[in-house]
Amino acid sequence: MRVFRWVWVVLLAISLLGISQQTVKIGFLAPLTGFAAADGFSALNGALLAVEYINQHGGINGIPLELVYYDDACAPDQAAALTRRLIEKDKIVILVSGSYSSPTRAMAVICQEVGIPLIAAYAVHPGIAATGEYCWQNGLAAIIQGKAGAYLAVEKLGARRIALLVMNNDYGISLAESFKATLPTLEQRLGIKTEIVYEKRYPLGETEFREYLAAIKTANPDLLYAPAYYNEAANLARQFRETGLQCWLLGDEGWDSPKFLELAGEAAEGVIIVTDLDRDSERPLVRYFLQAYAQKTGIPADMVGASAFDAVMVAAHALRMVGTDPKAIIDYLSKVENFEDAVTGPILCYQDRRAVRPIEVQVVQNGMFRHFHTLYEPEVIYFYPKG
Amino acid sequence: MVQLIANAVVLGCVYALMAVGLNMVYGLQKILHVAHASVYTLGAYVGLLLSLTLTNNLWACLAAAMFASSVFGLFISKLVYQPLLDKPRYISLIASVGVFVAATELFRLVAGPYPYAFSARFAFPAVKTSFVGLTSIQTLVLCFTGAAFFFLYTLVTKTRLGLAWRACIQDMDMAGALGINVNRIVALNFLIGSALAGAAGVLVARYYNRIFPTMGAVVSYKAFVVIVLGGLGSMPGAILAALVLALVESVLGAIPRFEFPRDAIAFLVMTLTLIFRPKGLFGR
Amino acid sequence: MSLGYILTIATFASIYSILVLGLNIVTGYAKQISLGHAAFAAIGAYAQALLTVRAGMSFWAALPLTVLISACVGALLGLPSLRVSHDHLVLTTIGINFIVIGVAEYFDFFGGAMGIIGLKIPTFFGRPLGTTGYFVLVLFFVLLALAVSHYFSKTWARLAMEGLGEDELAASSLGVNVARFKIIAFALSSAYTGLAGALWAHYVGSVFPKNFPFELSVLFLSMLIFGGMGTIRGAVFGAILLYILPEIFRFIENYRMLVYGILLTIMVTLQPQGVLGVDGVADRMVAKVDVLVRRIRSAAKP
Repeated sequence: MRVFRWVWVVLLAISLLGISQQTVKIGFLAPLTGFAAADGFSALNGALLAVEYINQHGGINGIPLELVYYDDACAPDQAAALTRRLIEKDKIVILVSGSYSSPTRAMAVICQEVGIPLIAAYAVHPGIAATGEYCWQNGLAAIIQGKAGAYLAVEKLGARRIALLVMNNDYGISLAESFKATLPTLEQRLGIKTEIVYEKRYPLGETEFREYLAAIKTANPDLLYAPAYYNEAANLARQFRETGLQCWLLGDEGWDSPKFLELAGEAAEGVIIVTDLDRDSERPLVRYFLQAYAQKTGIPADMVGASAFDAVMVAAHALRMVGTDPKAIIDYLSKVENFEDAVTGPILCYQDRRAVRPIEVQVVQNGMFRHFHTLYEPEVIYFYPKG
Repeated sequence: MVQLIANAVVLGCVYALMAVGLNMVYGLQKILHVAHASVYTLGAYVGLLLSLTLTNNLWACLAAAMFASSVFGLFISKLVYQPLLDKPRYISLIASVGVFVAATELFRLVAGPYPYAFSARFAFPAVKTSFVGLTSIQTLVLCFTGAAFFFLYTLVTKTRLGLAWRACIQDMDMAGALGINVNRIVALNFLIGSALAGAAGVLVARYYNRIFPTMGAVVSYKAFVVIVLGGLGSMPGAILAALVLALVESVLGAIPRFEFPRDAIAFLVMTLTLIFRPKGLFGR
Repeated sequence: MSLGYILTIATFASIYSILVLGLNIVTGYAKQISLGHAAFAAIGAYAQALLTVRAGMSFWAALPLTVLISACVGALLGLPSLRVSHDHLVLTTIGINFIVIGVAEYFDFFGGAMGIIGLKIPTFFGRPLGTTGYFVLVLFFVLLALAVSHYFSKTWARLAMEGLGEDELAASSLGVNVARFKIIAFALSSAYTGLAGALWAHYVGSVFPKNFPFELSVLFLSMLIFGGMGTIRGAVFGAILLYILPEIFRFIENYRMLVYGILLTIMVTLQPQGVLGVDGVADRMVAKVDVLVRRIRSAAKP
């Protein structure tokens, strides 16, 4: 009988602990297994780091923040089921997606139906924010990235003959479409003519680019714009040098990973990318993030990790300011101005629930991403004129 | 144009290397050995491990990978396929898929989800002329594939072992009745096939400078296209098919407005071939 | 309560059951191993997406059309099975998977890589079906699929097909039109799979080419073989168990797919005819209990 008494005491202690350990819960889904596991791992570590940071700085007004995360395996049906689980069983107040567009869109449908705010860390499909007023995209939007790429290519790098080599998924296509759509505006403003001399889509996971690059060499462009993820980009860059192409090689935030530098090796030198994480920034939060992330995971931070960090920071900020009421959170987010506690640059505001921020351009020098330029031009970084 | 063909030939060699071991296993036992892809991936990771710890020499990595892969292949054969020999062959297929899933996860858990660069050092001549250029890793892939196929061809056609092997391919029961140790042939077949898969893993990893847990996925299906095109179990057929496939993919890829994924092209070629020539391009 | 979560899992498990019942017709009865059924699901999902989102039809009006389209395309894609057999057919079906996804990914008519978004949960007499309503709807389709499967397995079509699976020559000499039955099997199977794909797409709300990879086809075949090929109960059981298993293993998040792979290998090695297949573990257990009961009865008799 004495044993039973002890069991009661332990149970009581646990339940008391449970009451005193009340937390605010943020849900988090990322692909921790399968082909996208590397990005899922980065995203998860970025998010966990943000939670650590927030709890070191007072939590949510004294209450600790807790991240409840699951693996969605990049499958929309699993994401749908898990979103329900997070909302109903784990009682989360905000869902952060560290996953790709297809699962994130499945989360968006449910979040919109139930009325729980969803913040997508880096998924770019325009259909996500368009799902409804509860769905937010905190990453660097595809339409802006493509616009910034075109702006940089034509105005800053002086490219007139442009080749496009596009990874065929929603990410690559959105960027390329926006890039092309921006060219006429630039032509008109600068009074010049540009020409797309080559354009090709290739599948995700491609390793062999030599035949495309040979054709590009014949087309003789000033610049090759190649929206891709770092795995594809690394082989592209290596074979780009091997083919002996001499033009600019312009990438995007998908290239923004230390793994790109490692895989591409010397071929990465001189590559320019449009992204939002400035590794040379002197802002204390960025310094903290870069150092803590490397310490936590053993490898330097990438864009995905930084984006997940920021998505959680934004969520926590909203929770601090207005509490856990979903309606109040989305009202607050729509009024956010100059949110500085983000490592991917200050978030100036949200337009149609998509983050607006200055765009960072980085160049690879001596095997490192270095600051090259920052785009503040309103016509580039805003979705539509302010006000 | 010459450069395009040269690159395609190297790509063809990559395909041939991936497919050769599979072709041996399939030729003898008619198992759709999907887990061959994990044997290949294991080879790459063993090579990586060696290059990160003991020696950064590519030849040493190759040797270690071939050894580890052949052990792993034998292990799969004995533990998974042996008990299923008298069962319908789709059972071995699903068991093989299970091994593949588990092995892929194991690689991810042990080595992490991120890709690794693999730059083991080696000395090999590069080709650089005015009309065609090949990097040293390209010539290495070319030469290694040639050597591997020459070795296999000699083994199969010129030795007693090869004779026994061919007898087993014709009819395993009959070969057994004639006093050939069938189990030994099967084991040896797995050993050599898996060793070549390990070597392929290291070489392809070096060629594309990337090792990651799901790198076997392509091998698990594309290599089948090669062996089907070449005629199942036919060694010269496989290498010819690999070259044809790489050439078709590269030429289509070089056409400016033509966009269709490489793997789908491969399967389209295979399906059309099967409809018009059910025994494969070079099968008899 | 986490009712919505459980219902969502149950809905997907039911959708997968319909799909594997369809696979069972072509693979279990007609013995044509298919590793391309994700493509057939994609065809249903895309047909439904095009009809509802692009053409503006309602769920109810589009669904019969989708099933019809799926059946027709299935029959068309089944044509190679007339020329190609055994392992070659397995590889051809893998090929179909890659080609169909390639077409969806590169032709703007199908939305390309951007997919088609905006499918909605259907309404029933003007009221949108919630999670529960949709589950009931899917359950209705499961029952329908079971009924059709049952009817099919009882009629001579199944006998003809099984004959054809065992020995084509013998079957054709007995007057079975082999070509016709293979095509019927593919069409019917594809109709099931297309229906499942359409139901899946509405619940998820969007379709992307990447949602239907070759790995999914492998999962479907694993479900069927795990449960027991050629039996209705096996197909349903395999689908439900293999869908739910990774969910159950959520508590070992990082290791769950490893455990899943090992379990799959061990299970098919120990139980090749499937857990609920003919003469599978369940059958034998029932038989054992039966013997035991008889023995007790005979012992009880004076």
